[in-house]
Amino acid sequence: MSFLTIQEVTYGYEKKGPVLQNIHWSIPQGQFHCLLGKSGCGKTTLLKLASGLLLPDEGTIALDHQQVKGPSPSSGYVFQAPTLLEWKTAMENILLPISLKRKPSPEDVDYARHLLDLMGLSGYQDQYPKQLSGGQQSRVAIARALIQRPAMLFLDEPFAALDAITREELQDDLLRLCQLNQTTVLFITHDIAEAVYLSDRVAVMAEGKLVHEVEVPLPKPRQVEMRVQPTFSELCWSIRQAMNGGQK
Amino acid sequence: MNKTSVYSLLLLGLLLAGWEWIAGQMSELVLPAPSVILYTLVEGLISGYFLPHILRTSAEVVLGLFFGCAIGFAIGVIMGEVDILRKLFFPYIIASQAVPKLALAPLFILWFGFGMTSKVVITALICFFPLLENTMTAIHYTNGQKLELFKALGATRWQTLTQLKIPAGLPGILSGLRVAVVLAVVGAVVGEFIGGSQGLGALIIASQGMMDTPLMFAVLILLTLLGMFLYQLVNLLEKRWLKTYLEETKR
Repeated sequence: MSFLTIQEVTYGYEKKGPVLQNIHWSIPQGQFHCLLGKSGCGKTTLLKLASGLLLPDEGTIALDHQQVKGPSPSSGYVFQAPTLLEWKTAMENILLPISLKRKPSPEDVDYARHLLDLMGLSGYQDQYPKQLSGGQQSRVAIARALIQRPAMLFLDEPFAALDAITREELQDDLLRLCQLNQTTVLFITHDIAEAVYLSDRVAVMAEGKLVHEVEVPLPKPRQVEMRVQPTFSELCWSIRQAMNGGQK
Repeated sequence: MNKTSVYSLLLLGLLLAGWEWIAGQMSELVLPAPSVILYTLVEGLISGYFLPHILRTSAEVVLGLFFGCAIGFAIGVIMGEVDILRKLFFPYIIASQAVPKLALAPLFILWFGFGMTSKVVITALICFFPLLENTMTAIHYTNGQKLELFKALGATRWQTLTQLKIPAGLPGILSGLRVAVVLAVVGAVVGEFIGGSQGLGALIIASQGMMDTPLMFAVLILLTLLGMFLYQLVNLLEKRWLKTYLEETKR
């Protein structure tokens, strides 16, 4: 059953040609899909459309059978930069989505603390973002996206600025949390290995079109050793070729 | 006390000693010695001669700062928030920035009389612009990704302003306040130069008329202290509001 449905979507910024052409895609409930592409291919635009930050010129986008007309409260967002508010502590940052709507209840605070624990940040709740490392900031940003227990999670290259080891740790944390809550995920990246490791299905985007789609047959939950298995490398290689339009 | 502050104090002592020596060779009318100035200052303070003047100038500075900054901040927020207003008024703001505002002081004396009002208006006008410009810029150039976050979270325009744009712009707004505080003293003193019988600026003019150079120096020291006090007050505010979260690591 499809949870997020993107149908025949076309979008263009003013005075430029279409950035996205005829995008067709659906993500079943609880699945983790990655959108892969070089920078400037329109993948962030597609994410903004899917999340309701932009509205398509043509075509429709539906989330849980409801047409998307704006940002939905049942979705979580993680941006390229952690975008934490420097004047709020880690805890206050995580509770931000709630405190914009109402006063956070003790249960909300408990859940936020639980998320911090899951993210390996117990004891950091009163630290300000500047006092946290890059990886810790990204963890807080993910916890903030999860505080409203979203059914759908949108992530836009959230780990692009992190070192390889921290990135691997965060990938595992993210997978575990999404598995736990049966969250549907749309994840954007330019890192092929990251896409293959994380997702159930990878779509490759080039010049505003989806050019290639592939299922990832690796068993779940994913483990670090899988990164060095031949199937993993072969999958990466075939996607690499698809990104170049079939040429080596 | 660390080493540099010891040297700094030593330098002060050296300078004062040099001054005292040079002043000894000259007429008191040209350059009074530090000891003479200190005597005048202490005597004036003890006898209460300076008190009404200090109070008057402080009141002008504080009132001018308050009105100038409040109005500058409010208009800055509105212009930073509403594109059409900013585009409409920005050329005029630039033009009015170029007007030497102190040159308008005689006009304000003409309009508002020799009392306190004219000085408060001059001070307010001088403080208005740095606050306006810094606030407007800070509000207008808020980080795009953070704005997107607030949009995605369904924040209202008011929430975005009060919980994102103003706190994010606080460092810029406070540096505007820092400039305004220093300018405020200049505004009040110049206002008193032009028309006034009370206040430290008027006292400087009076001491010029009486050829009482030690008095003039004593007043200059008082003005410096007033400016430094206000400047430190802004620093204190900055520490309270910003330093807690701008420090990289807490010790």
